[in-house]
Amino acid sequence: METIQRINHYTAYRPRPFTREERATVTILFGGLTWKHERLIQGVLHNLGYKAQPLPNITRADLDAGKELIDVGACCPTIFTTGNLANFLKSEMAVLGRDEVMKRYVFLTAGACGPCRFGQYHESYTMALDGLGLRDFRLFLLAQNQLDQGATHGGGLEINLPLSLGLIWAILCADVLTDLEYMTRPYEIVPGETDEVLRESIAYLYDVFRNRPPEKLCGGKLKVFAWHVLTDYFTDALREVRKRWDAIRVDRLQVKPKVKITGEFWLQTHEGDGNYNIKRWLEQEGAEVIPPPIAVWLDYLLHSPITSEEWKGAERNRKKIALLRAVEQIYHFVYNRFRKALGNLPYELPDQEELKHLAKPYYHYELRGGEGHMLVGKALYAYRHKKAHMICELSPYSCMPNTMSIGAMANVLGRYPDLLYAPIEVKGDAEVHALSRCQMILTEAKRRAHAEFEEVLAKTGLTVEAIRRYEERHPEVQRSTYRIPHYGYAGTAANYVLHLARKMR
Amino acid sequence: MRIPTLRILFGKKASAASPPKDRSSVRVGIPKVLNIWSTHQFWVGFLTALGIAPENIVFSSDTSEEQYREYGKGRGTVDCCYPVKCMSGHYGELIFGQKKKIDILLSPMIYSLPSFLRGHVLDTLTCTRVMAGPENIKAGFLKERDVFAENGIRYVSPFVSLGEPEKVPKQLHLALKDVLDLDEEETARAVEAGYRALEAFTQKMRQKSREILTWCARHDRPCILVLARPYHMDPGIGHEIEAELQAHGFPILWMQYLPIDDDLMQWLFGEEIRAGRIKSPFDISDVWPSSYSSNTNEILWGAKVAARCPWITCVIRFSSYECGMDQPTYTPTQKIVEASGTLYFKFGDLDATKPAGSIKIRVETIVHYVEKYSRDLIRRKLAALPPRCPLLEDAAPTSESASLAA
Ligand code: SF4
Ligand code: SF4
Repeated sequence: METIQRINHYTAYRPRPFTREERATVTILFGGLTWKHERLIQGVLHNLGYKAQPLPNITRADLDAGKELIDVGACCPTIFTTGNLANFLKSEMAVLGRDEVMKRYVFLTAGACGPCRFGQYHESYTMALDGLGLRDFRLFLLAQNQLDQGATHGGGLEINLPLSLGLIWAILCADVLTDLEYMTRPYEIVPGETDEVLRESIAYLYDVFRNRPPEKLCGGKLKVFAWHVLTDYFTDALREVRKRWDAIRVDRLQVKPKVKITGEFWLQTHEGDGNYNIKRWLEQEGAEVIPPPIAVWLDYLLHSPITSEEWKGAERNRKKIALLRAVEQIYHFVYNRFRKALGNLPYELPDQEELKHLAKPYYHYELRGGEGHMLVGKALYAYRHKKAHMICELSPYSCMPNTMSIGAMANVLGRYPDLLYAPIEVKGDAEVHALSRCQMILTEAKRRAHAEFEEVLAKTGLTVEAIRRYEERHPEVQRSTYRIPHYGYAGTAANYVLHLARKMR
Repeated sequence: MRIPTLRILFGKKASAASPPKDRSSVRVGIPKVLNIWSTHQFWVGFLTALGIAPENIVFSSDTSEEQYREYGKGRGTVDCCYPVKCMSGHYGELIFGQKKKIDILLSPMIYSLPSFLRGHVLDTLTCTRVMAGPENIKAGFLKERDVFAENGIRYVSPFVSLGEPEKVPKQLHLALKDVLDLDEEETARAVEAGYRALEAFTQKMRQKSREILTWCARHDRPCILVLARPYHMDPGIGHEIEAELQAHGFPILWMQYLPIDDDLMQWLFGEEIRAGRIKSPFDISDVWPSSYSSNTNEILWGAKVAARCPWITCVIRFSSYECGMDQPTYTPTQKIVEASGTLYFKFGDLDATKPAGSIKIRVETIVHYVEKYSRDLIRRKLAALPPRCPLLEDAAPTSESASLAA
């Protein structure tokens, strides 16, 4: 009998554990959101005794590094984020050396989202690590749909309620503040003031998260949960933030088209080279941007199981559905408290049922991957409720789900030919082409914004001069935190004029 | 030798249960695309059980550039991988290209798949483009006016989780009750019939593959395994590359229909299970932890089998241009296969046009290598496995498979 000769079969990357004892010396790296979200998340991690650091903001160089390290054909979020991690590790290796980098850092990323590449990002990361000779570097996935996963990956990271709720609350606070930022900056009278106040606000909120009272984070899960939901700790902090924003004066008579950003999760959230800095670019081109809050994605994750359970039969699953609905309502309650603390200026969350209903003839709500039916739903929601003049959908080159919903949008546009929709394919290195495409549609959006402004002036009989005189007598209306109700016009200027007309009456 | 899959067995329909309502004259067209290639027998079984006459179940033809030019041009709404893009041609052919008009165009949104790996992997979902493809393609036939209605066709696109059989009766009932006047019970019965037909077909294919492997084992001859998505069996998508290799005398196996019998699996994986490296022969967590996608999981599993099975001395991998699902798997698959020295050749970026010249050159290279290294490879891989190979204990292959192999 021949003896068995072993073959060294291939095995996938398996990180060695990150132990509890290492917490004090190992820094958790993370990234993928905006600098505001990341800073507040850092506050949460610091609060719980972790060393944590966001990766530097994405640049074009990350695209090049990513392309070099992973197989061709990846979607641009994968390439950018892989390159971002690789470049950071390379720069650290140059200073600390390979072994020290492997000892000092671990990388934590969201994963496990199933059908598209998002669920496989770490395959690219590990390939990049191989390419850098860092096979032993530790990389961990955080499932985004479990709040209490216990001690994972060797006990170094404990995914429990204080962490998960802290992360969600940090994201929601950064979201409402981002809304405030984007509705203020285009109208600021003193250039740069918004960014300055924003920086101060985030620094202040970092401390708020950094100093969550430890005694509220221990004890039973219910107690921790109840404290987060009911406490004034976060809302007081946001009220304090609002006071800082009171000082910013704005000129809302500048007529600007409102552009709603939708698209693939990473690309729409990102602020930087990864999406050609498109939000800033739009502002420079004279638009007001409606940024996409991460809160809508979390709402989608919360709502989907309700729909699934209802499909199975409301009778059989009554208790489960009631519980899921209660969680969803609590989530909305928390978000609305945060909005209220900022004077109800941030946008409300769209009703998930409505998004589903609007998208139904075009894109089935159970189709997963990317933003699913929400891309179609959000576009129609903004159109039907006159929330924006134009939709700018950011679609990564070679993204699988996005190409499908963009295709489905052709059907939507067939029925609503006046819906202004700019699907922008982002490759990372074809900026001119993408922006000029957006520019064309933006021109029409501007025309519409001006037309509705003129219409409102004519309707109210007001003139710009009369409004200016009113503003002089009532300076509070020029505060950035002065809330202008939505009167059914997409543009801020049109709603402002209508509002003042009513006040003058 | 070719594994007779959909293309060859298309005419064979599963037997029908006695229909409760007369639907024998209803004609149903199904675009032969994407995961219809691995679930066709389910649909045939299901529809015939509902009383649709087998001759009234019409599949579109194999994909071709002419088909797209004639029926699909101008209807694409977005640029993406060819297996999805070509669907417009299939839809168009069913709408405009039938001598006898169809009444219903059935294009399911297949969300998950029945897979022998289910229970061993995280999920068995389809690619996001596979599941959403129909929503994308239908837009091209609706954006200006309703082309289906104009042609008297009902367009039906059920969302269906074939990987979760318990959900399927309700999903199909909701989608089809109005068009086919269905009740819940008969739908449930038809779904069962569909699964039975699919299972019977798959079993038969696996048995044929086993016979081919047995033939190889007995004659100490190599065979070539195709690692690809089911729709690469479509000559317009996979461009019949494997047929060119087959013409050189190498038996071809498709991963989808590899035998999964316990004796063979234990022979190939038993030692690793006992060593605690994997939990079962179908556990792929050692090579692919993010095992959500059904076709991807099976490709990775097929690569593992190829790395171990002595007579599979060569793997050819097909991948379509701009395939997002395949992209992260290129390197792991190659590494898995090559770990045992098994030959690996990738035909990536497959698109509408057959790259005949380059295929010819590469086929010659592959033939050269397979001829040169197979004998040694078989020996080396055999030496790494337990001595008693179940294939060599099988009864002599049937005359059919012997002639197929010959
Ligand atoms: S949604 Fe698109 S871009 Fe994002 S990870 Fe998935 S495939 Fe890539
Ligand atoms: S698996 Fe690849 S080729 Fe198939 S539909 Fe998805 S992206 Fe396209």
